Amino acid sequence: MMSNSNYKFDWNVIEKYWPEILKGLIITIQISLAGMAFSILLGICLANGKLSNNLLIVRISSSITELFRSIPLFVLLFWIYYGFSLKFNFALTEFEAGVLALGITGGAYMAEVFRAGLLAVPIGQLEAAYAIGLSKMQSSMFIIFPQAIRIIIPPMVNIYIGLLKGATIVSVIGVSDMIYVARYVSLETFAPFELYSLVGIIFISLTLSISGFVYLLERKLGRSKVDG
Amino acid sequence: MNRTTESYIEIINLSKSFGSHKVLDNINLTVNRGEVVAIIGPSGSGKSTLLRCLNFLTRSESGEIKFQNRSWSLNSEGKRYKGKKYEKSLSELRSEVGMVFQNFNVFPHKTAVQNVELGLIKVRKMTKNSAREIAIKKLEQVGLGDKINQYPDKLSGGQKQRVAIARALALEPRVMLFDEVTSSLDPELVGGILEEIRRLANTGITMLVVTHEMGFAFQVAHRIVFMDSGKIVEVGTPDEIRNSQEPRTRAFLSAIL
Repeated sequence: MMSNSNYKFDWNVIEKYWPEILKGLIITIQISLAGMAFSILLGICLANGKLSNNLLIVRISSSITELFRSIPLFVLLFWIYYGFSLKFNFALTEFEAGVLALGITGGAYMAEVFRAGLLAVPIGQLEAAYAIGLSKMQSSMFIIFPQAIRIIIPPMVNIYIGLLKGATIVSVIGVSDMIYVARYVSLETFAPFELYSLVGIIFISLTLSISGFVYLLERKLGRSKVDG
Repeated sequence: MNRTTESYIEIINLSKSFGSHKVLDNINLTVNRGEVVAIIGPSGSGKSTLLRCLNFLTRSESGEIKFQNRSWSLNSEGKRYKGKKYEKSLSELRSEVGMVFQNFNVFPHKTAVQNVELGLIKVRKMTKNSAREIAIKKLEQVGLGDKINQYPDKLSGGQKQRVAIARALALEPRVMLFDEVTSSLDPELVGGILEEIRRLANTGITMLVVTHEMGFAFQVAHRIVFMDSGKIVEVGTPDEIRNSQEPRTRAFLSAIL
């Protein structure tokens, strides 16, 4: 452990190792995007379950949501990565385990977001869709979902930002994401502060860019409010 | 007006409850082709529910609805239709029965012309071009020729309701249902929409109109149905209803006129 007084900043480290960090960034983005895709699928399933007419399905979906939401990502990742291979003799790659863990956690959050979004579209919209002869499927696809998505996007992006940062946890099972690279490189260079700061700055710029993009997107979509 | 005596819609012993509250209590009514029927009565009398039962947005729990002698409630063995296949077949019925709502229910994420062409493309399976052609024509008919590319939030209530009327008419329905279509409109816009319905009534299309606009109902309708507490109290021509001796009808009309 080094004391503060002895620490010499060496920003050259960044100049030398930024391509490695960038590779880590790509892994982080890949894992978080794949995790998000999984979250969306799981979230749609759970939300539909919660909105079902069948009380049993409602109960099951709600319980699964509660359960998935309460397991810490770290524990979930451990269970999936080590548990699976120990118990079922079925090995997932580190990447797959990471995606699965993020997807399950994110899916539980997405379920609630989807449910709220779908419920926010007035029932009259569905009735008007039925009244011109659209089927259930067509009504969801062309009428309900496009309106719900406007409500869903902002909280969905929040969840994605959560997953993006959550994705750094995969370094504990050896995925060479940004954190993993930063730690690995700092073992060689003794410059953890510089490297982790770089990681921090990358995350801040990513998050701000996403927020900016969503702001523009919302403005573009915002022209049609949700009411008949 | 090419009204006929051929029975077109038959409502037989229709009942519907919400919980223990009976909203429709054994309704029987026959509507002829080309007939304009106004349904009047106090709030909560079941007028709107009856209308919504006709395109199965609301399901009655007993009784039967027939269009041109084809039952949409009971199969040949007299059992109630249910299941996925039946749900699908309802879309065929609904595309033949246009409905206009109190709250317009135009699709806010679609422009006026997209609202109108959607059913033509997805239900009638028309090409985009021919659907658009019809949609524009229908919007012109309701006086919105210059608004076809507007989103609903740029339209007034009256204009939204015109879009909704055009959307229903685009499918060339054989029956039109109007559910208190002027009740959410600013007073100065009511007349225009009523004029639209009046014009439609003159084309010979079969219409059921739930309305609180008594003057309009008595002018336009061939027959008037007076409902109270889920029952049809009286059916008659405007003159018959106006001179009704039935105490409930008299009380309602004197309170409202």
